[in-house]
Amino acid sequence: MIEFIFLLPLATGLMALALPATLGRILLLITALLHLQLTIMSWMGSLTPVFTSYFSTSPEGLLILMVTSFIFVCISLYSFSYMKESEMENKPIFICCMLLFLGTMSMVTLSDHPIVLWIAIEATTLVSAPLIFIHRSKEALEATWKYVLICSVGIALALLGYFFITLAMDLGNIDAPLTFSSLNTVASQLDPLWLKVGFIFVVIGFGTKMGLAPMHTWLPDAHSQAPSPASALLSGALLNCAFLGIYKTHILMHVAGLGEFSGNVLIGFGLLSMLVGAIFIIGQPDYKRMLAYSSIKNMGIIAFGVGIGGFALYGAFLHIIHHSLLKSSLFLSAGNILLGFGTKQVQRIGGIISYLPKTFISFFAGFIGISGLPPFGMFISEVVIIVGAFQERRYVSVGLFLLALTLVGAGIGRIFMSMSYGETTEKLQVEEKTLRLLPSYALLLASVGLCVWMPDIVYTTILNSIKIIGGTIHG
Amino acid sequence: MTNITECILVITLLSVLLSLASTRLIALVRIMALQGIMVSLTPLFLKGHESLGSGALIFFQLMILIKGLLIPGLLYMAVKRIAIKREIEPFIGYHASILAGLVMLIFSVFITSHLRLSLPAGHDMVLITAITTMAAGFFLMMARSKAITQVIGYLMLENGIYLIGTALTKHSQTLYVVEFGVLLDLLVGVMIMGIILHNINSAFDDVDTTLLGRLKD
Repeated sequence: MIEFIFLLPLATGLMALALPATLGRILLLITALLHLQLTIMSWMGSLTPVFTSYFSTSPEGLLILMVTSFIFVCISLYSFSYMKESEMENKPIFICCMLLFLGTMSMVTLSDHPIVLWIAIEATTLVSAPLIFIHRSKEALEATWKYVLICSVGIALALLGYFFITLAMDLGNIDAPLTFSSLNTVASQLDPLWLKVGFIFVVIGFGTKMGLAPMHTWLPDAHSQAPSPASALLSGALLNCAFLGIYKTHILMHVAGLGEFSGNVLIGFGLLSMLVGAIFIIGQPDYKRMLAYSSIKNMGIIAFGVGIGGFALYGAFLHIIHHSLLKSSLFLSAGNILLGFGTKQVQRIGGIISYLPKTFISFFAGFIGISGLPPFGMFISEVVIIVGAFQERRYVSVGLFLLALTLVGAGIGRIFMSMSYGETTEKLQVEEKTLRLLPSYALLLASVGLCVWMPDIVYTTILNSIKIIGGTIHG
Repeated sequence: MTNITECILVITLLSVLLSLASTRLIALVRIMALQGIMVSLTPLFLKGHESLGSGALIFFQLMILIKGLLIPGLLYMAVKRIAIKREIEPFIGYHASILAGLVMLIFSVFITSHLRLSLPAGHDMVLITAITTMAAGFFLMMARSKAITQVIGYLMLENGIYLIGTALTKHSQTLYVVEFGVLLDLLVGVMIMGIILHNINSAFDDVDTTLLGRLKD
């Protein structure tokens, strides 16, 4: 029964409300490990869905489930130590919401029914809002307000998009169950006009949640105000889930013969997000906001790669994996820095290399990785996307892509240098701990490891996710 | 049957226009209650939905209870608690808002007649009402500065989406799931925004969203 994957965290999340924080922390870790085990079992194919009209396993869903589950194990380990040292008023709520968040995100990855997918994504908003508000400052309140309002409106538009897709079904006189897998088999009979309208609404709706510009305005605020483990989860897992909603609809468009239209829409949003992300990174005074804008840029790259298709699609899927690993590692390192110096202002932080030498290693490695330099996986994925775009003769787009990459490299580099080697006005408040370092090291190592040796099962899963819309690895 | 449907839809449209013009928050909440009941009654009287099973009937009753009683009740409590009587400085004035509402109405009639959808008889009117309601919801969210009015705008947007859902989709495929989705969305709106409203009020002594301008680049 594959539904256990999301039922388990939902149940333990509710349990955590009744437990004291010390026990809750252990529960968080145990659930994370069990979830990883269930995920591996579902990869092995030993779990089958019970409610087949609502849930099923799709290769792209399994991939994102695995990424989410792995990141969550690392983050729960980090939270174990983080919760002791940070001032948090209501720790059981934090644990509860983290687990519910994991549960709803797993539900997104397994759902096959559009409306169930939509409900799950809506539920992620509901359970992650308290995480952003956990510090109860005025800024956190503002960030939560923007997050809830902007995302709810966006997701409401996505629901409208799915209504239009059901209208396209009615107009095509299709009497099939409303699931992605059965829609894909009858896609050519769908009414093309309403399918297009529906796709636009879905992209705007889930794009809001995914952080595509110009609907990204909630993202920097929410990521900078949430406690670091939650930011890592938002950036590394939630954005992928919203992407999954768009990707499944894109597959439907492609099968219906409208792949060029939906691809161009995605390329447009992708390029815009990259440029917006790059421009706001330069001169950014707050390092957590800098990381948030970098997420916007990377979501742009993913949308761009998916829009181009072919070889670039493979790159986009690699990019999803490596962005999640590297970005959550960076947010965890940023959490150590925030605990140590007590400020998010780049200017007031300096000399990380001498004050927090072990954090410096993970921060430095993360910086190398996120700028798209070897030996980290983002280098490969970006090269693959660029090659793929050249093959499709999108020269102007590639030019903009490279411009954005250069700007980001310059912007992140400047901030990183001043934080690592500059002078500080603050005193170190909290020392670094091994438990808060291991997770970011593990995430970074996973990214390097996947470059050197990618297990066959991961490789075939990626190929299966992109096969249906013509993605290949043979340029 | 069509006449009853049209009466309901006309009342919904009037409630939209009234909500754009109302200055008092309590009045706005009452209008929302009326609109909620009307919107959840609509599917009962539409053609093609007459052969409803008992399960569906219970579901519609639940919709009426939630949209017509529960949510307005929660909003009422929120308004009482924050002790604000009226929206004093809207971004766009009330007369201009009504005018904008009428423009939206004409615009949605225009859209509906140009879509050339083969809708069953009586569904045209539903679509017109739905588009107007959605547009007015958006308008309220943008044109008013109080957080509670923005929440009401969001709920109005939801009402519009619910109407579109009932007008456009065949119920055989999406029964319950669609309703459940909309209900969940409404709960998100009311629960979280209610909690936040309370917190905005205690943190800033007001629910004016123009105070929420600290985070920017």
